[in-house]
Amino acid sequence: MNYERELLKGNTDSLLLCLISHQPTYGYQIVKELEKRSNGYFQFKEGTLYPALHRLEKDNLITGKWQILPNGQQRRYYYITERGQQVLARKLATWQDFSTAVKSVIQPETT
Amino acid sequence: MVNHASHYLNRFKASLRIDQTIRDGAAAELYAHLEDKTRELEEEGLSREEASRIAIKSLGSPELIAEQMYETHAQGSWKDAIFSALPHLLVAALFASYYWRNVACVSIVLALTVAMAIYGWQRGKPIWIFPWLGYYLMPVVVSAILLLSLPQGWGWIAALIYIPLALFVFIHIVRQTARRDWLYASLMLAPMIVTFTWFSSLGGGNQFLTTDWAARLQTNAIWIVVSFIALAAGTVAFIRVRQRRYKIVSLVVPPLVILLAVLASSGGHIAWSWLLLILSLCAFAVPLWMQAKAYQ
Repeated sequence: MNYERELLKGNTDSLLLCLISHQPTYGYQIVKELEKRSNGYFQFKEGTLYPALHRLEKDNLITGKWQILPNGQQRRYYYITERGQQVLARKLATWQDFSTAVKSVIQPETT
Repeated sequence: MVNHASHYLNRFKASLRIDQTIRDGAAAELYAHLEDKTRELEEEGLSREEASRIAIKSLGSPELIAEQMYETHAQGSWKDAIFSALPHLLVAALFASYYWRNVACVSIVLALTVAMAIYGWQRGKPIWIFPWLGYYLMPVVVSAILLLSLPQGWGWIAALIYIPLALFVFIHIVRQTARRDWLYASLMLAPMIVTFTWFSSLGGGNQFLTTDWAARLQTNAIWIVVSFIALAAGTVAFIRVRQRRYKIVSLVVPPLVILLAVLASSGGHIAWSWLLLILSLCAFAVPLWMQAKAYQ
């Protein structure tokens, strides 16, 4: 299986929680934001985002609320929960440690 | 846009066998996504037709999204799993403790079954309700069979009045359940199949009536307990696993264990049980067939 895809799959929760923690957002905006912030690196079938959002909501890490826009369109905005913030903090700390360790191995400091 | 999107969302909804409210909500989210993407592409200069086509393509296969959504929502909590397995464990406890011949104990279990089935039905049919519903339906079916044993032709007259009513209730509940998911119908019917398999192993027709069937049933109590524990374990697995194919496996394995239990207890003479087992396996195979049909 594609290595990048596996990496993305393993970090989907952290990426989504991170984006939602900045501001309440909805599915399409998340896709756009991921694409923009990663300079187009994260590309995937957009529909697969929704099962991931529902999984996070079921785990009580985010919560979704329907909002009606002035033009009548309905959107489901996602908000991070307190538990979500705690989980995100733990995941980010783990990621930092892992990233530092990987860097140390592949780019050892020369003395 | 509307036609393409409707077709796409219909495919999504047809592939997603979960609670209707959640399914409709997920479909509405996908629709909002399609609207946003289509509008944006139109602003970039594409025709509505082309924009809609690209928006749908970028979402990906509706069946794949439905499958992933199913895996998210079809997994019940441990609480659901324990509630679902509870009626099987209660029946196993009745046989293990020899209280299945005690009218008061059986009445308490029956009353609890009825109460739980009605409570769950009124609370929007949570996932744990289906095994309770199976036991709830059992007296309805058993009464129809017992009516046939009334003397001097009265049985047939009573049965002619009662059976259509019983069938109506039975079919109505099975249809309501299957509408949500065929697998839940199989989960619901499982205790009935186990019970009938055990009763049929005691012999058919006159042989059944002329022998002391209660004593024979008690002799096999340990194997009956094993059967209902297997059913409880299968139910817990069904509730907890995410993938549909594993749910099907968790439904198919207990009847095989039960067949072995019946074989072990009867020394290989299992009378009508073979037929019932084949019928039960056919009933469990129906969900597979229905799913294959939905994916075509």
